[in-house]
Amino acid sequence: MNNEEILSLAEQIVKSWNWTTEVSRSQPNQLDVKVLKLEELVPIVVGLRVKRLGYLSAIVGLDLGSAADQFEILYYFCEKNSAIVLRVHTPRVNASLPSLCEIIPSAEVFERELREMFGIDIVGLKTIEHLYLPEDWPDGVFPMLKDTQLPALPVQGEKV
Amino acid sequence: METTVTSKSFTVPIGPQHPALKEPGHFQFTVDGEVVTQAYVRLGYAHRGIEKAAESRNWVQDLYLLERVCGICSHIHAFAYCLAVEQLAHVEAPPRAEAIRVLVAELERIHSHFLWMGVSAHEAGFDTLFMYSWRDREKVMDILEGLTGNRVNYSANLLGGVKFDIDATQAKAIREGLDFLEERAGHYLQVLSKDAMFLQRTRGIGVMTRTEAEVLGAVGPTARASFVPRDMRLTAPYSAYRQFPVQMVLDDRGDLEARFEVRVHELFESIRLIREILNNLPSGELSVRLPRRIPAGEAMVRLEAPRGEVFYYIKSNGTDKPERLKVRTPTICNLNSVIRLAVGHQLADVPMILAGIDPCFSCNDRMVTLTDAHNEGERLMTWPQLRQHGIDFYKQVGK
Repeated sequence: MNNEEILSLAEQIVKSWNWTTEVSRSQPNQLDVKVLKLEELVPIVVGLRVKRLGYLSAIVGLDLGSAADQFEILYYFCEKNSAIVLRVHTPRVNASLPSLCEIIPSAEVFERELREMFGIDIVGLKTIEHLYLPEDWPDGVFPMLKDTQLPALPVQGEKV
Repeated sequence: METTVTSKSFTVPIGPQHPALKEPGHFQFTVDGEVVTQAYVRLGYAHRGIEKAAESRNWVQDLYLLERVCGICSHIHAFAYCLAVEQLAHVEAPPRAEAIRVLVAELERIHSHFLWMGVSAHEAGFDTLFMYSWRDREKVMDILEGLTGNRVNYSANLLGGVKFDIDATQAKAIREGLDFLEERAGHYLQVLSKDAMFLQRTRGIGVMTRTEAEVLGAVGPTARASFVPRDMRLTAPYSAYRQFPVQMVLDDRGDLEARFEVRVHELFESIRLIREILNNLPSGELSVRLPRRIPAGEAMVRLEAPRGEVFYYIKSNGTDKPERLKVRTPTICNLNSVIRLAVGHQLADVPMILAGIDPCFSCNDRMVTLTDAHNEGERLMTWPQLRQHGIDFYKQVGK
């Protein structure tokens, strides 16, 4: 399959089911699929996996700020030179996402990272220990949130 | 008659400090006798919050910050960042700059693979190979220093191009260095594929099938040693790789031996590519100007670092600072796969399996705790002792 075939097959899969999505092409080699209903994320991923469209290259979490009060999560499925991006929104308060680990075992590290960096509850994630942050990291402090101000680093020569 | 066998298992924590490699990580292995039954990984000892820090620095400052993500493959991070920012600004670096970027990236690959060869040989107890390969690595470090002024963190990139040109004297020095490195790589290939003692530590160890590699998300040479045709330079060509294509090195055996051979064959391929670039270096400018404020938008790039695919996502909000920057390095993908591979293997194979993926955060330990459940006591081992355990274990097997 060439890039165009990959993207049009993905588009076909996403559109042929009764899923609530918005599909667009932000770049020539990228298909953006906005998943409007959170519960449809897993079936769509299954649909892509069945056709072996792309591997999960990364999951990117975005904090859209306190005005929008939303997180946007991007799932990058890459194959050859093309990318299929599933875009999901979740409110910042009580944020929760379904886990993809049952379908894609390698999603675990990305989901653990989302959990500790953004405070998003990943439903179905088995390993919930910190991956990057220290054990004594305070509860409820999520460093990648826009309003989390981390303490300034000590300047050289200054007493800590 | 019914017999019940009760057994308890030991937990072996490995990590986070290691005197041989650069960065720390913690592993915990549950062993039943000598066999690993469970494996667990804990990272973050080197987590410096670079993604967060990047949001409070401007586009130019971030270039220097991101080059410090990794001490070994520093160039590829700056390269990826520059490509993503240039994509956002709708600017392309001049062809000569792109060729020089790729040339430095390939020199970096040679340096990284030589470094890895030494470290893995050391873990196997083959210190002669360790010393020789690190001596030879000095040659490529010298080339990089002659070219950029730095042995590591070469700082070759600018937003919109590169900082230096290559003149005839430098090209001559590179060619001479490559002749030497090519001869040495040939020698190591002989050693790695013929030495019976070494093959005992690599052949059939840590086998990952193609399906496993795909499902567990392996990338780079680790994936290619399991016949997964995934090399960003070829599958998603970027920068000057479009004009100077590489050959993909694949192996279908999936064991440690395959991972060694894939990397050594990649050395030859890198050497060939550098020569080709030197012979056909495009003429022209070295850089173009980029605005201080980068237009709003999103960019994603995937590059082939020495260890595999590196993923950069950058979102700009139109100011002089990025809104969000995400880095996904290859080690996190490979670690995830290798940690599952360790299950079912001898404890003695663990150092080699870990070293086999060329972990960039790098493992292991001053202090290994062996919890003896039967005697309810604890035995402390250092990483060198565990390494020695591996070597002694195989000496026993060899008798």
